[in-house]
Amino acid sequence: MNKEIRFENLQKRLNLSRRSFLKTTAAGAGVAAASGLVELKHGKEAKAFAYEPYPRDDELETVVTSCAHNCGSRHMLVAHKWKDVIVRLSTDDGRYQQGGYFGKDSNEEPQLRACLRGRSYRQRLYSAERLLYPMIRVGERGEGKFKRISWDEALDYVAKKMVHLKDTYGPTAILDQSYAGASYGVLHKSDQIEGLLGRFLGMFGSRTSSWSVPSYQGTTTSSRWTFGTIEDGNEDDTYAESKLMIMWGWNPAYTFHGGNTFMYMRMAKQRGCKFVLVDPQYTDSAAAYDAWWIPIKPNTDAAMMAGMAHYIFSNNLQDQAFIDKFCMGMDAGTMPEWWRESVNGQENFKDYILGKYDNEPKTPEWAAKICGVPAEDIKKLADMYARTKPAALKASWAPGRNAYGEQYNRMAAALQAMTGNIGKLGGCAEGVGKAWHAEAVAYPYDQYSNTWFQSIKSDRWAHCVLNYPDVKREEIGLWERQDDTDGQIPNIKGIFWQGSDWFNQLTNINKEIEAIKKLELVVCMDSTITPSGIWADVLLPVATHFERHDVALPWYKGHYYIHRPKVIEPMGESKTDFQIFTELAYRIGGDVFGTAYNPKANRDYFHVNDNVDEAYLREWWEQKVMGHQHVAMSWDEFKKRGVYKFKLSRPHVAFQDQIEKELPFPTPTGKIEILSSELANIEDWTKTKYGYHIPSIPKWIEPWESLNSPKTKEWPYHLISPHPRWRTHSIFNNCSWLRETYEQEVTVNASDAKKLGIRNGDTVEIWNDRGKVVVPVYVTERCMPGVLVLHEGVWMDLDKNGVDRAGNPDFLTLDEPSPAGAFAYNTVLCNIRKTDLSHRPGWDKLATSRAHVFRREL
Amino acid sequence: METKKETKKIREAVKRKKQATYTPVKPEMQLGFIHHNVDCIGCRACEIACKDKNGLAPGPRFRRVQYVEGGTYPDVFAYKVNMSCNHCAEPACLPTCPTGAIFKRKQDGIVDIDSTLCIGCRRCEAACPFGAPQFDPSDNIVKKCNLCVDEIEAGRKPYCVMACMMRVLDIGTIDEIWNGTLETVAKGPNDTVSRQVKNMANIELTKPSIGFVAHSKGKVK
Repeated sequence: MNKEIRFENLQKRLNLSRRSFLKTTAAGAGVAAASGLVELKHGKEAKAFAYEPYPRDDELETVVTSCAHNCGSRHMLVAHKWKDVIVRLSTDDGRYQQGGYFGKDSNEEPQLRACLRGRSYRQRLYSAERLLYPMIRVGERGEGKFKRISWDEALDYVAKKMVHLKDTYGPTAILDQSYAGASYGVLHKSDQIEGLLGRFLGMFGSRTSSWSVPSYQGTTTSSRWTFGTIEDGNEDDTYAESKLMIMWGWNPAYTFHGGNTFMYMRMAKQRGCKFVLVDPQYTDSAAAYDAWWIPIKPNTDAAMMAGMAHYIFSNNLQDQAFIDKFCMGMDAGTMPEWWRESVNGQENFKDYILGKYDNEPKTPEWAAKICGVPAEDIKKLADMYARTKPAALKASWAPGRNAYGEQYNRMAAALQAMTGNIGKLGGCAEGVGKAWHAEAVAYPYDQYSNTWFQSIKSDRWAHCVLNYPDVKREEIGLWERQDDTDGQIPNIKGIFWQGSDWFNQLTNINKEIEAIKKLELVVCMDSTITPSGIWADVLLPVATHFERHDVALPWYKGHYYIHRPKVIEPMGESKTDFQIFTELAYRIGGDVFGTAYNPKANRDYFHVNDNVDEAYLREWWEQKVMGHQHVAMSWDEFKKRGVYKFKLSRPHVAFQDQIEKELPFPTPTGKIEILSSELANIEDWTKTKYGYHIPSIPKWIEPWESLNSPKTKEWPYHLISPHPRWRTHSIFNNCSWLRETYEQEVTVNASDAKKLGIRNGDTVEIWNDRGKVVVPVYVTERCMPGVLVLHEGVWMDLDKNGVDRAGNPDFLTLDEPSPAGAFAYNTVLCNIRKTDLSHRPGWDKLATSRAHVFRREL
Repeated sequence: METKKETKKIREAVKRKKQATYTPVKPEMQLGFIHHNVDCIGCRACEIACKDKNGLAPGPRFRRVQYVEGGTYPDVFAYKVNMSCNHCAEPACLPTCPTGAIFKRKQDGIVDIDSTLCIGCRRCEAACPFGAPQFDPSDNIVKKCNLCVDEIEAGRKPYCVMACMMRVLDIGTIDEIWNGTLETVAKGPNDTVSRQVKNMANIELTKPSIGFVAHSKGKVK
């Protein structure tokens, strides 16, 4: 066969051209119309197909939807359904967007391909763990014994209890522990701050809110102080433009920030960008981007960065023009006029680094002793970062989940500023990383959306409950109030979980177990049973995003909307969160509360929600998306296509206007505040949400435990608990497909393992004075000695002695947040040894298989 | 899935099979895979997409992203070798099948198993040097990747390729994959394609239809 014929053949078979694709879809549509999708017809040649009967995609109904769980991204899912059953899922293949065709995947409008978690959604949807009916506890709390009850009984029970708690204990009795779980859309939104639950409890008049965000509060606070906003992120396509990328504790192969960040980074690599990874682990990202790996002791990042800053200042490599123009407090020349009069604002960053205040220059040699990175490497990296333009220092969240984690993020921002890499294409000011702004609110939004009567640091609830009323406000990080209730300790008597598995996810679970026993009401709303749900009094089954109408918005990065129609009818008796709160409102406060909470609905909403949801979404699209964002596509066309991808007029780079047009930063002084105006002027720290002193400029502060502390005599290992790839926090832990590809295991350095007499696959126990967990071990050279890695989010599974057989690291973490609110998830000392205790990989006792994973000495 | 086998049909097939002398099918065109061992982040979206498409319970895995790592701390390396069925030019599974259920398609070289003929004897599983045939205990037969023939016939690409977030997995005619003329983003502008990488069975055994962009530590001479 000559080449031409072969190529034509290939064209035909692979349909690389658009024309041939259209031909096949037309044929597919014909089949669908003729058969009404009921009869599945097979051609003669299909006889040999390995799985008969096998419905092909084109014989099924195609519905565009998306993932919905709380990860750093949002991808398209395409449901192929037969009647009311989703037969399989695929993802974006370029066909669905305006002007799209099969295979379209441009740099401007890349496909939004779902990851392994998204692809496993059918297992979550149809899982044995799915909650289908309201349930009420019949055993002891946490015993896991429930019986089925009617919606009527369940809602009456909750309504009565809520009223009783509010009447007896007042407006702080109910703790809102809503989180982004699996309900992230513009309409059905569970969220810590302004979700459906927050507005419901705010309107009801009893809500203690949880203000610190577990994943990134150190980062958020840092970005607010430094830049005045959390919108410090670039869109993912800008990552292709960097010449140097420093992934600081960042593993984009595991945690996706934006739909295609990892792919654009590959593009950067092909264009010659150099990559560096600063991390205790040699991650898959380091491997894929061929990065220079700099292993670092956990929780010492700010020290290494201070060493880099010292090198840059002492070699005069800083971008002084940039500093002079845009920064405040970077050096003596950029101090504000008021610094002498301020309470804490006397120091500038450069003089701190050079050691003028404490006679301790923060030299690379000084830093090397703390962080374990050789001084030569610190200098080399600082030199590379200062001389390469543009260079992206991507300071991820993980090193911020530490004691004084906010100092790490502030130090990173200082480095980004002193090298002039802010507001420039190919540079980076992240941080939080929030980039393009989506219109996120289709649900009713008013003054009640953020009404709360006290607000605490999220991981201090157990401390508050156990010690009430002998609690100082600084111990629980009480948010300031402008009325006479300021400083009143909340009397928490009940918890509401909406889309949240916080009992499994917050720190020091054993302390939480003590605290939850003191509560009078625990309600869990979720689509599956969760480890938290086991501890609830009432379980309310929530319809998944496949079973309700919504629109998905990207999460922090990405510029698109994905329509999420009701793909199938809600399973069992499950209802949407919005339906549940609306009905509860009617039961508690009659028509007044009911219509105020859900103005477009009447009480039938609990049974029929389609038209009301459609009305909210259409209004959102027409007013906000078409109105504010100037989108021409109509709501009906959007619904038909399923996706709208924005084409931006220029790559979205945070603070580009501030730098190019010299607009002020949204800080009090309009500058990049290396010296924070807010912190510089605080007199009484106990009256602030921080509770304790925070330096006004970024500083290295010794954490309460680390590999450098004397506690290592008893607890010689430092445990970190990063986000896994095969779960989103605790979501998907019950999916056997995912558990087959990865298992919960602790990563141990090979030389440590040798010392401990541990071999790959052995079962070990890891413990400290807060708890004990049992897991298998993965021995590798890819991890720093002295460091253990155990991924967060596995579903806890206690034996009768209180040992967690699943291996949840939060039995070992400390519920002691940083002043700025950063959870100290990665500040944990512990010990490890081989054990005879048993590990259980999952509640269903499914053995996970790693038969095809091989690690080989080469 | 048909659980009841037609014994008579299988007996006839066995008879037919015994009479035949096996000569490998020479396809008009051979489709194959290309995978970038370095740029692959090892996310395994391809594996899960495959499981979902083929409706597999935990256990059988048609596509396997294999993790390779080595070196000594801190000088380490890691890469991925991603394989399903290689739709070999001389498939070792095919002649071992007692019922002739395994066949190679003339038009594109795809190796497939006729599930109505498979008796689940698992000989092919043992014969394949790459671990492609997977026994499915729920149906008591062996199954494997068929390169999503239904998608190929509909003018699209297999689920694994369309799932790849990094765009490092692709298909094409194997000649073009090997000689570097295939238009694909799976391969970077300066990458070369090798047929054999470390930790992979000798390709002379079956002549697998696959090409890799190898890691520097995964190259073989």
